Amino acid sequence: MKFRKNRFLCMALCVTMLLTACGGKEPSESTVSSDSGLSQDGSSNVEDAGNEEGQAEGADQKESSLWLDEELEITILMQDNAAQPLTDYAPAQQEIHRKTNVKLVYQIVPTSSYTEKENVLLATNNFPDIIKVSAGNINSYAGEGIFVPLMQYVNEETMPNFYKLWKENEEVLSRWLVDGELYAFPAIPRDEARNGFGVVLRTDLLEKHDLAIPSTFDELIDVMARLKELYPESIPYTGRKGTSQLLSTVSYMLGSGAGIYYDYDVDGGRYVFGPATEEFKAVLTFLNQCYERGVLDPDFATTTSEQLQYKMTSGQSFMFIDNSGFGQNYTNILRTQEGLENATLQVIPVPENSFGQRRALAYDVKNTGRLFAINAKTERIEDVIRFIDWMYSEEGSNISNYGVEGVSFYVDEDGEPQFIEDYINGVDDEGFNSKYYAVYSDLGITKLNFSLWCTNTKTQFAIQKIVGDWNDVVEEYWEIINADPAYVDPYTAPSLTPEETERVTDILTKLTTTLDQEYNKYIMGVEPIDNWDKVIESIQADARELEEIYNGADARYAR
Amino acid sequence: MPAETSSKGKYGLVCPLKRARGIKMSSVKFKHRSVGSRCFDIVLYILLGLVVLVTFYPMYYVFIVSISSANHISRGEVTLLPMGINFDAYKIVFKNSRIWVAYGNTILYTVVGTFINVMMTALCAYPFSRPDFYGRKFFTLFVTLTMFIGGGMIPLYLVVSKLHLMNTIWAIVLPGAVSTYNMIVMRTSFQGLPASLTESAYIDGANDIHILFRIVLPLSKAILATMTLFYAVGHWNSYLSAILYLDDQKKYPVQVILRDIVIAGEFMENGGDVSSSATVIATNYKYAVIIVSVLPILMVYPFIQKYFTKGVMVGSIKG
Repeated sequence: MKFRKNRFLCMALCVTMLLTACGGKEPSESTVSSDSGLSQDGSSNVEDAGNEEGQAEGADQKESSLWLDEELEITILMQDNAAQPLTDYAPAQQEIHRKTNVKLVYQIVPTSSYTEKENVLLATNNFPDIIKVSAGNINSYAGEGIFVPLMQYVNEETMPNFYKLWKENEEVLSRWLVDGELYAFPAIPRDEARNGFGVVLRTDLLEKHDLAIPSTFDELIDVMARLKELYPESIPYTGRKGTSQLLSTVSYMLGSGAGIYYDYDVDGGRYVFGPATEEFKAVLTFLNQCYERGVLDPDFATTTSEQLQYKMTSGQSFMFIDNSGFGQNYTNILRTQEGLENATLQVIPVPENSFGQRRALAYDVKNTGRLFAINAKTERIEDVIRFIDWMYSEEGSNISNYGVEGVSFYVDEDGEPQFIEDYINGVDDEGFNSKYYAVYSDLGITKLNFSLWCTNTKTQFAIQKIVGDWNDVVEEYWEIINADPAYVDPYTAPSLTPEETERVTDILTKLTTTLDQEYNKYIMGVEPIDNWDKVIESIQADARELEEIYNGADARYAR
Repeated sequence: MPAETSSKGKYGLVCPLKRARGIKMSSVKFKHRSVGSRCFDIVLYILLGLVVLVTFYPMYYVFIVSISSANHISRGEVTLLPMGINFDAYKIVFKNSRIWVAYGNTILYTVVGTFINVMMTALCAYPFSRPDFYGRKFFTLFVTLTMFIGGGMIPLYLVVSKLHLMNTIWAIVLPGAVSTYNMIVMRTSFQGLPASLTESAYIDGANDIHILFRIVLPLSKAILATMTLFYAVGHWNSYLSAILYLDDQKKYPVQVILRDIVIAGEFMENGGDVSSSATVIATNYKYAVIIVSVLPILMVYPFIQKYFTKGVMVGSIKG
């Protein structure tokens, strides 16, 4: 028996060894296969190298304001995007390589899983040279020494281009500082168009029935109620994502705000917890009025994005208050139906609220929210910094937003980059939502790629105009938005300390559980609006504490 | 084979199977049965029919949406029949080189991974099934513990990284080579084999390797098929390890791409910028990708299913 056992063990050992031998052998096969994968790339590299030589003879290399004598390879962890799939070493990155001798290597992670990957890589300190990092992680890892502290480089001498943009946008950008130190380079927007939550309605129906475009929210209800009379089957006003989205879209316009928000009109600007104020009753009154008069979707509390889309595009609903940009898409679908060829969903100037204000929050275009940190283990940090600064220059920005000069864009007499029409028209957009995403993906450009002084909308409009996607509705849309003085930029939230964050989460959880039960009662008229005072009373203490935390954190930054 | 012999009625358990066959094959038997029994059957059929409907309809819905036109979908007109039938979504899917590359990877990971899984599980289960294995209790406890105490994501990541498995297929197929649960199921199944078989093999001069590969495994085809299915489906559906351990996009399996296409659409809807309005990914495209990525593994089921049910029965009767 004993002998047999020993034999058994020996055998098991042999098997393990055999297996490990296999295991040892097979990875080499995989390296071969990955090598062969590389050689595919390699062949394209050869072509590029050919180009490089050709151009090195020309003046290209001297033109560039940055040229590193020794090639620098920078690996970046990038977030992919399903609408604009990223590719490694696309034309824009090849052009950067040719111009500066810096080769960017992307590690591309799908959007839906980026946070997980980012967290693991940071926790194990295993990330590449540059990582796109969330603001929260910058705060948590600031003191750990895994990122290069950057303030030492932010000066006229070392980073002239970045320093200039930094000074121009200091008020907004200084919010990324952690205890006065910068740990990540923010991507700075370059002339971005902005929109926001707005009132979008069927202007063609208003015209048809001789109704004027409402200029106050009361008139808005009247107009919608009239349409309800004319079309009894319709659901004039609907939304998406239930009550909370409904409140967050209309509250600011109506003179209050949903949750904790910065109100420019209170005491010259401070943080306020909306539902705990008198003004919030105006929001509830508006929604209650809409509900009582049959204007608001009876299923308002449980709406979804899909429902919003099909109610709007089937012609069942006439108005939504949300991202006003949705209207353009809905109009296109609406018009495919017989009898609705002239249907138009257009934004209207922000109506006046019951306090006589016209106000709306624009989307944040001063912050892209894209931050890139440098790994402290990176070699040749000075060169990396020089390269980053070049990315903030006009030259770097042109390449990373318009592609290759002479191929996909040219610089006009005003010094503005313009796309070359033939190139844009030649891009295959099959499988893309739109031509501009096809172009972005093809060239490896704009905000969602690695561009530090970046645009997204400007290039989008330019491409839409070239390919003829730019119609009257879109044109009119931007005219209305740009002419409307009601839109204000959102206030950049101050960063809270970990203790504050914890406290805020606690309070907010408590408040939202209490409030979520209340909102629907008031909107549906089960409780008269005046009773909201009782609710305010019950949440007063927590709301004050929340406001104090936010205003305190805000005061820490000298404006 | 084993099911054939058992259907002869040695065990009381086989009865329902016989009856079901009776209903299908001859209506004569049906007439003999009482009204109550027939009513019961009718209720049973209705209930099961509902269950089938509930499980089948979502699949069917995904399919009809994938072949309907975008405008009909966005107006919510597609419910029972496809509207404005076209295969544009599939054309786009099949044109997408990322999906093809990912597909190839998935097949590679599934085949290699499942092979390793089944091999390792069998190699682990066999000694545990032997009553004369030295220190069996200790090792069993040792292995079972891992079912309840896992290392967690970050330690596992560090191990994989320190073993230099990162960005290779081995990072996908090796860390989960043996599932303890499956190993225990397999061990139980091995234990069900008559001890006299292995004893006689010993007497004939076979060693343990011989016994495992020549006698135990050929007699356990059912459990092997079951394990293959479990593991293969697991590999086919997994995406997290790929996201964590792979850096190169060209090595991603199809589920990563699928998840990105299906979920990223929702991400963008929340997006606050201007362009987010136009970027909601077409539903039919999403659904076409779902169909394409699910179909192959779905088609494996019918072929393995006969082993699957057998495997469960063999385990339950003899274990």
